[in-house]
Amino acid sequence: MIVEDDSALRELLRDALEKRKYTVIAAADGKEALAKFRPSIVDLVITDLLMPEEDGLMVIMKIREIKPSTKVIAISGGGMAGPGSYLMMASKLGADAVISKPFLPSELVMKVKELLE
Amino acid sequence: MSARKDKNQADNSQITPVNDPVADSRLGALAGGIAHDLNTVITTIYGYSEMALEGLADSPEAAENVRRIIGAADRARMLTRQLLDLSRQAAREKVPVRVAAVLDDTIDFIRPSVPEGIRILRRVTAHDAYVNAVPDQLFRVFLNLTMNAVQAMTPKGGTLTVTIGCREDETGIHQGDQCRELHIRFSDTGKGMDKALQQEVFKPFVSAGKEHGTGLGLSVVADAIRELRGTITVSSEPGVGSAFDIIIPGAFFGTLPEKH
Repeated sequence: MIVEDDSALRELLRDALEKRKYTVIAAADGKEALAKFRPSIVDLVITDLLMPEEDGLMVIMKIREIKPSTKVIAISGGGMAGPGSYLMMASKLGADAVISKPFLPSELVMKVKELLE
Repeated sequence: MSARKDKNQADNSQITPVNDPVADSRLGALAGGIAHDLNTVITTIYGYSEMALEGLADSPEAAENVRRIIGAADRARMLTRQLLDLSRQAAREKVPVRVAAVLDDTIDFIRPSVPEGIRILRRVTAHDAYVNAVPDQLFRVFLNLTMNAVQAMTPKGGTLTVTIGCREDETGIHQGDQCRELHIRFSDTGKGMDKALQQEVFKPFVSAGKEHGTGLGLSVVADAIRELRGTITVSSEPGVGSAFDIIIPGAFFGTLPEKH
């Protein structure tokens, strides 16, 4: 599952993952993601952190409650600087990996593969 | 702050901007926000460029043009790094923070994810107490403590009571602008901790939360309180609950411009 409010990036990540034969569910914000999240079919969630409605930190917390074994990759462009950065908070909330934007799709795909193996 | 301004004025007769930490922190937050959005755009540029390159093995000229796009994106990435550096620099500066407002923000932030059966009560007597803190520092402290309490009370339910008051006078009545010691208490009716865990809980890589599922390290909280020259202690009883007491010295009352 991809949770990203920027539509261009969301479609790019979808393309990159579908090309590698992953089935992708996409959501534009945390609220939509939680509505679409199905524990039986979602193995991994890639979530942006700064989003309208429910943000990525909430997505991580709630998914950790619903299905703790779900792998989570947090991505962020560093909107909140310093030691309290969103990526650091995502990591503390249990994200399995964090990736700073900008990144290459191949970097993300490699991380997805690593976490699902 | 004033010394620096005086020095500038002595060096030349031009009007120099006043060093305003609140304005600086807002400018820093703005820079961080712009950098965040730009980094998202650059990721998309990188992504489609990388995908395009995969299909251009037989078109060296077109592939070279795509590499130039990536080069331009690299330069944009360096600019966003500079913006983030600016943002981080501003984020390290201390500004007056109204403690009760930070608590309100924390509870508003976490409320959507608080399970039914858990109540959060605010008992604030020092509504206008400020401390000088790095923006978001207290928010992180309050968020960690609130989340830990919520986790400790899940799934059974319970009550988290947060009190903020001046230590000299718990009624909040004060003389002058000073609140020598601000007392903040997070008291929950959760699972509690045994003595051994209480002694270890502020150390790195030790978390009461792990017992409850997805815990947060309290060492982060302790570090932040130390930066405020304050103290944090815990008292707890298994099956009854835990209370975290924070004492921050040098608080003051006022109606200063806010940034938290």
